[in-house]
Amino acid sequence: MSTTPAATHGSTRRPPRPVVLLVPVPGTSTIHELWAGTKLLVVFGFSVLLTFYPGWVTIGLVAAMVFAAARIARIPRGAVPSMPRWLWFVIALGGITAAVAGGTPKVSIGGLEVGLGGGLNFLRFTALSIVLLALGAMVSWTTNVAEIGPALATLGRPFRLVRIPVDEWAVALALALRAFPMLIDEFQVLYAARRLRPKRIPKSRKARRRRHALELIDLLAAAITVTLRRADEMGDAITARGGAGQLSANPARPKLADWVTLAIAIATAAVAVALEMMLHMSP
Amino acid sequence: MGALCAVIAIISVVVPFAAGLALLGTVPTGLLAYRYRLRVLMAATVAAGVIAFLIAGLGGFMTVVHCVYIGGLTGIIKRRGRGVPTVIVSSLIAGVAFGAVNVGALMVMTRLRHLIFKVITANMDGVAAFMNRIHLQGAAALAKRSFAVGMHYWQWVMLVYFTIGIMVVSLIGWWALSRLLERMRRIPDVHKLDAWDGSKGEEGPVGPVPVRLDKVRFRYPGAGQDALRELSLELRVGEHVAITGPNGSGKTTLMLILAGRRPTSGTVERPGAVGLGKLGGTALVLQHPECQVLGTRVADDVVWGLPPGTEIDVDQLLAEVGLEGLAERDTGSLSGGELQRLALAAALAREPALLIADEVTTMVDQQGRDALLGVLAGLTKRHRTALVHITHYNNEADSAERTIDLSNSPDNAGMVGAAAAPAPTVTVDHRQQAAVIELAGVGHEYGNGTPWAKTALRDVSFVVHQGDGLLIHGGNGSGKSTLAWIMAGLTVPTTGACLMDGRPTHEQVGAVALSFQAARLQLMRSRVDLEVASAAGFSPRDEDRIAAALGVVGLDPALAKRRIDQLSGGQMRRVVLAGLLARSPRALILDEPLAGLDAASQRGLLRLLLSLRRDRGLTVVVISHDFVGLEDLCPRTLHLRNGTLESLPAAAGGMA
Repeated sequence: MSTTPAATHGSTRRPPRPVVLLVPVPGTSTIHELWAGTKLLVVFGFSVLLTFYPGWVTIGLVAAMVFAAARIARIPRGAVPSMPRWLWFVIALGGITAAVAGGTPKVSIGGLEVGLGGGLNFLRFTALSIVLLALGAMVSWTTNVAEIGPALATLGRPFRLVRIPVDEWAVALALALRAFPMLIDEFQVLYAARRLRPKRIPKSRKARRRRHALELIDLLAAAITVTLRRADEMGDAITARGGAGQLSANPARPKLADWVTLAIAIATAAVAVALEMMLHMSP
Repeated sequence: MGALCAVIAIISVVVPFAAGLALLGTVPTGLLAYRYRLRVLMAATVAAGVIAFLIAGLGGFMTVVHCVYIGGLTGIIKRRGRGVPTVIVSSLIAGVAFGAVNVGALMVMTRLRHLIFKVITANMDGVAAFMNRIHLQGAAALAKRSFAVGMHYWQWVMLVYFTIGIMVVSLIGWWALSRLLERMRRIPDVHKLDAWDGSKGEEGPVGPVPVRLDKVRFRYPGAGQDALRELSLELRVGEHVAITGPNGSGKTTLMLILAGRRPTSGTVERPGAVGLGKLGGTALVLQHPECQVLGTRVADDVVWGLPPGTEIDVDQLLAEVGLEGLAERDTGSLSGGELQRLALAAALAREPALLIADEVTTMVDQQGRDALLGVLAGLTKRHRTALVHITHYNNEADSAERTIDLSNSPDNAGMVGAAAAPAPTVTVDHRQQAAVIELAGVGHEYGNGTPWAKTALRDVSFVVHQGDGLLIHGGNGSGKSTLAWIMAGLTVPTTGACLMDGRPTHEQVGAVALSFQAARLQLMRSRVDLEVASAAGFSPRDEDRIAAALGVVGLDPALAKRRIDQLSGGQMRRVVLAGLLARSPRALILDEPLAGLDAASQRGLLRLLLSLRRDRGLTVVVISHDFVGLEDLCPRTLHLRNGTLESLPAAAGGMA
């Protein structure tokens, strides 16, 4: 379809799948319909669990939970962004250096003794990071951002007793999530406008570095100017509405499904902890 | 309070991204701490933390905490007016405390510690093994030994590491922040409305109408002349009044006075309090559609900010403004006109006694404008509200019972109602000129391969010739902005090719100039001369060239030292053009060049573009949802709808 070799080069390579942030996957499912607070609680709970017990059993169980949830929520593989090449490189480098270290356990392949300890540890760490990322992604893939602010307000209600301004935080969060796509668009324009400018490359390295720093500061200043302007306009709109008050037209409440989910999550966590304990007792 | 909330919210969006670059995340938080109290910083931390948690898990959350911590520290010290020694001392204390907390946490979380240490040890062993392999035994043994010592005293290593790390980062942050905060200090607050805290005549019942203004004048502090000249008017209950006048005639100032600001002289009499946003009080609908909508879902936005426990019929309100059935939609997917009608619904949810609509149609396409005006026209019949409609389009004032014209203001030669500028004779060149940009079967899909894939353009083919004047016309969501980005080479189309001189445009970014709809986003330097020099690529000391560049777009060279923030909308657009044109681009693309400008500035800009095209042979492509006034500049028109070109019978000569 293209007319020049250069164009063929440009259009044959599949473009990488972009990272789509905080937009739920279209469609609905049991997971989509859960109360946002439940999802936040479960994900936060699992994150803490993984931090304290980062064993294979815990990682495996949580990964299984995430997988099951993803199947129920019918999340297609396309939702996962493609990995940039440099990340593969970093992982490979880490993997190789770790594997070279060897260590227990050892297996012998055709008389050659190979230590798997380092490699396994590295694998575990990578798996842990992926599972932690996937947990957050599950929330953002299945939750309408409109529900997160009110959910935080409800979850934080106990903190109100100790005079922590939870409602204020919830309003700020809801507004931040509202402003999110708007600002991303503006930053894209900002970045594009910068790309349109000529690049002067000074001769000496020092001058180049200085220029680099200056440009960074300029760009940052422009970005912050833009955001402050937006903030002022939004502030006017808030004042025009007479300040903060209601956040949601139909505030959601936890339903039966939410309690069931919480029960499953707690059970999984308990099993994971118990198994970890047993495994560490026995050897 | 309102403005503050918004600042928090918006800054907390920036933080997770900037936090990705570690140091940059401290800048917005530093600014926040510099300008406001600690409590504000806390709210921002929570909001930014949750967003980061959703994006990048617990690690993201921790990064945000680090950034807030360091940025906040620097910002507070800066606000107190202390210097480098304070930074060192406080970062030392903070570093030790921070390190101690981390060490303590790792001591409790034994499992995680073991895992991390095992991985580090494994990596270290690997490196050592490798060094042995390449005969560096001495160095390898030394590295291993010192590593083992470090592991043994890991608490101390970590403590020192954190202390030094935090001190270094704090000092770097301080260095960057001091430069930035100097610049930020001069960013004016552009918010216009102040929240009334009940102290200034806000006691008593809400009752904004009937209001009587007697010899009211207004002058901004430090300004040389009145923003609003002496004016007397009376507004009765349930009245529909239009206020017209060009930019700078004091329309917005009048709005502010009606919304409760004290005039510089004269008196304002009303029966009760203004009650901005209160039930039965004053409601406002402002110019920018996206900024006024505060809820993420349509129904949520209607109730946003209502006192807790207030029950309203959301569906009925939405039906009244013509948005029935959209209650569950995301506000992000609405067009500008729909957003404005939604803002109207939210205003009506408060059953206001006075509703002020300030230039609500300037950012909206023709279709949306008609719908919006239709809703406004019958409003005073359905509600017992007085409606004040501020506009610079005279025809929009027709449905009002009464029109107040502010155009005889001193610095404006009342041009609102003036006839269209005399049509200059355009010599349309029918000779076949050389092609500048060629689009062959261009299609574009956003989010390619993901569940969010959305097609913006399908099989678009056309050619832009040298010296052409082309209008690409389409409504909201027709893909016209995507097309502009592709033509400028900023977006690589998913199918087809956009070529210039046989090479794809995305390999020669900058050869085609693009003026974005939001001119402010394209201005990055703080002063006009610096901006033009940076955009055009010559030295800021080269005053002659800067003056020449400004001259091309009809700006006075004396403007060169003016700060960007002090320019009007029309001037900003011209400064952008000056920077772009100074590089002699092959073609100039303008995305909605007339949006947000008043009639006089629109005409001036069009005349400028027309003369550039005729006298210098500039190739001009205008992307717009409007035809009005563009016939002379763009003899050729292409219509874009839902991402495809609509075939028109030989689009020669600008028919609108």
